[in-house]
Amino acid sequence: MSMNEHTLKFFGEELGQLKAEVARMGGLAEAQVADAIEAIARRDVAIAEDVVGRDRRLDGMQHDIEKKAIRIISLRQPVAQDLRRTVSALKMSSILERTGDYAKNIAKRGLIIADAEPLSALTRSIERMGKLVSGRLKDALDAYTNAELDRAMDVWQNDEEVDEHYNSLFRELLTYMIGDPRMINSCAHLLFVAKNLERIGDYATNIAEIVHYEVTGEEIVGDRPKWSGMSGPAKSEPAEPEL
Amino acid sequence: MPRHAPPSPRPHAPVDDQGLNGRGRGWPWLKAPIGVALLAAVLLSVLTAFGRADLQWSAGAAALILGAGLVAGWRFGQGPGVNAGFRRSSDEPPTPPPEEVQTYVLALELAPNPVLLVSAEDLDDVAGRRVVFANAEARDLLRIEREGALLVTALRHPTVLEAIDEALFGRIPRMLSYETGGAQERSWRVWTKPLPPNARHPRLALVIMRDETDVRRNERMRADFLANASHELRTPLASLTGFIETLRGHARDDAEARDRFLIIMSRQAERMARLIDDLLSLSRIELNEHIRPGGQCDLSLAVGDVLDALAPQIAAKQVRVEFDLAPPGAAEIVGDRDQIVQVAQNLLDNAVKYAPNEGLVRVSVARNLTLEGATATRPDDARQSARSGGRMPLLTPARNGAERYALLRVDDGGPGMAREHLPRLTERFYRVEGQKSGERTGTGLGLAIVKHIVNRHRGGFYVESAPGHGAAFSVYLPMTARAMQRADTLLPTAQADAGLSHEPRAA
Repeated sequence: MSMNEHTLKFFGEELGQLKAEVARMGGLAEAQVADAIEAIARRDVAIAEDVVGRDRRLDGMQHDIEKKAIRIISLRQPVAQDLRRTVSALKMSSILERTGDYAKNIAKRGLIIADAEPLSALTRSIERMGKLVSGRLKDALDAYTNAELDRAMDVWQNDEEVDEHYNSLFRELLTYMIGDPRMINSCAHLLFVAKNLERIGDYATNIAEIVHYEVTGEEIVGDRPKWSGMSGPAKSEPAEPEL
Repeated sequence: MPRHAPPSPRPHAPVDDQGLNGRGRGWPWLKAPIGVALLAAVLLSVLTAFGRADLQWSAGAAALILGAGLVAGWRFGQGPGVNAGFRRSSDEPPTPPPEEVQTYVLALELAPNPVLLVSAEDLDDVAGRRVVFANAEARDLLRIEREGALLVTALRHPTVLEAIDEALFGRIPRMLSYETGGAQERSWRVWTKPLPPNARHPRLALVIMRDETDVRRNERMRADFLANASHELRTPLASLTGFIETLRGHARDDAEARDRFLIIMSRQAERMARLIDDLLSLSRIELNEHIRPGGQCDLSLAVGDVLDALAPQIAAKQVRVEFDLAPPGAAEIVGDRDQIVQVAQNLLDNAVKYAPNEGLVRVSVARNLTLEGATATRPDDARQSARSGGRMPLLTPARNGAERYALLRVDDGGPGMAREHLPRLTERFYRVEGQKSGERTGTGLGLAIVKHIVNRHRGGFYVESAPGHGAAFSVYLPMTARAMQRADTLLPTAQADAGLSHEPRAA
C-alpha cells in the first residue's frame, strides 16, 4: 500500500488502528503478567529473563500510541465519542505500560527468589492470587476491545477478592518471617510481588473505568464495594427483596 | 444475528452446462483462476443479495477458498495440462458448481477445531489484520461478531500474533502453544500457515487451533493428585502403623485396649478412604471444569434428598433444621444432578458439623434472581456490621444479563470465622485454626469441590461469616430457560416464594 492511500484513510480507520494497537499492547502486557507469575511459581529463570527483556517493547508501543493519539487530536480535532476514544487510547497505553513495569519487577524478584530455598506453600498462594489478577486483566481487556459495558462493570465491582487475597498473603508472609528469620529475604520479595499484583488488579479496575468512560462518556458514580465489615454494607449492590 | 447458524444448504443459481462439463473433466475449473475468482464474486454478490447476515460468512469464505484452492491446484497439480490451463486465461473458463463449493465451506464451518483466515495489508498497519473467515467454533470461542473483524479483538496473545505475522509477511508456517487465563483456564495449540494470495486478499494466513486443555490438565492433575494424596495420607497411615505396633507389643493381651484401638484404627481407615474418594472426585471435576454441563436438575429436590440422607447426623446432634425451599419444578437449574447433590451434601454436611449441639441450621432455596439479587447482602444480617467479619465472594461468574439464578443458602449458626480465613476457605486442605481441631472428620476438600463444581456450572459462591455469628454459604446457579419462563408467567416476583415455607422433615 502506498503512502498516498495512507493519508487518504478515513478518520474512523485511524481510530480503529489506534484501538487495534492498544489491544495488541494489552495482549503483550497480559502475557507479561502471566509469564511473570509463571516465573515465580515454577522458579523458572529463563521465563523471568524473557519478561525483563520484553518490557522494552511495551515502552515502544506506548510511545507509538501516544504519538498517534496526539497526532489525531491535533490534526483531526475530534469531538464527542471520537475524542473519548482517542483519550481512552492514551490512558490505556500508559496504564498498560505501568502494568508491564510491575510484571518486569515481579520477574526480577523471581530471579532473586529462584536462588533461595523454595517456599512452595507461599509461591502457591502467590500463584493463586496471580491467576485471579490475570483473569481480571483479561476480562478488562476483553471489555475494552469489544467495548462491553457489562463486562467492564463486572471487573469494576469485583475488586475486593484481590484485596482480600493480598491481605491474607500479607499475614501469611509475616507469620513465615516471624517463624524463621532466614526466610525474611525471600518473604520480603514475595511481599512486593503480592503488592505488585494488587496494583495490577487496581489497573484492571482502571481499565474498566476507561471502558465505561469511552462507551458512555461519564465517570462511574458511586463507591466500589469494599469489605463490608470495614466500611458498612456494600453500597453499589441494590438491596433486593430477599428470597 | 445467529452466530452459530451454519450456512444453510439452500439451492443456488442453476448450474450451467459449462459447470457440469467442468466437473466431468475432473475439476479443470481449479486451473482457471480468473474464472473461479469471477464466479466467487458472483456467488458473493448472490449470497449478499439474499440479505442474510450469516450467509455473508460463507460467501466470503467461498471466495477465499476458491482463490486459495485454485492457486494450490495450480501449484501442486502435475503435468503440462495444468500449467496450460493456468495460462489459458483468455479462454472461456469452465464454471465450478456452486453447491460443491458450498459443501467445502460447510465442511470447514462444521470442523470441530477453530479455523480462521486472516488477511493483512501493511506490516505496520495493525488494524489491517482482519478475520476474513471464522468457522462456527472460532466465532464462538473468540467471540467474533462479523466478517472483517479486527484480528486483535479476537486474538491478542503476542506469540500468536507474531506467528500470524510470520505467515502473512514471511510466508513461514509455525506451531505454538499458549494458554488463556480467566475462571476457566484453557490451553491451545495453534498452527499458522501462509496461504496463496487471491484477487481480494494479497496476503492471507490460515490459523488452526486445537484445544489441549484436557491433555495439560491430565498431566497436572496426576502430579497434584500424587502430591496431595501422599502428603495427606501420611498422617492417618502413621497413626495406623503406631497402633499396629502397640497391638503387637505391650497391648497384645489387653482385650480392652485392643477394642479401643481397633475402633480408632477403623476410623482412621475410613478417613483415608474418604480422602481418596474426595481427591478422585476433585480430579474428575477439574478435568471437566471447562465443559459446561448440559442436563437439568431441581435444586429444591436435590437439597431435600440430601437433608433426608443426613437425618441420622441431624438427629445425633439434635440440630434443628429450618428450611424454606422453592416449590418443586420452580428452581430448576442447568446442571449435572450428581454434582449438584454433591454441592448440597458438602454444604449441609459442614453446617451440621459446625452447628452447636441442639443448634439451628437454616437452609433456603430461592429462584429467579438476577446476579445482583443473588449476591445482595441481607440488611438484617448481624455479620455485616460485625467488626472482623463480613461477606466474601469465593467465585463470581461472568455476567450474562439474561441469566437468572437459583440460590441455595446454608447458615450453620456455628462459631463463625474471622475475615482473614474467608478468602482461603476453598483452598485444598485449608484449616481454620482453633476450630474443632479435636475431631477432624472432614477431608479439607469439601469447599474446594463445591467451588469447582459451581465454576463448571458457571455459577457463583460466597460466604458470610463473623466470629460468634455463624457462617452462611451461598451458591447460585443459572436456571433453565423453562424454569425462567415458568417464573415469568406464574410467579412474577421473587417474594412469591416467601410464603411457601415447609415444615422441617428431618428432626
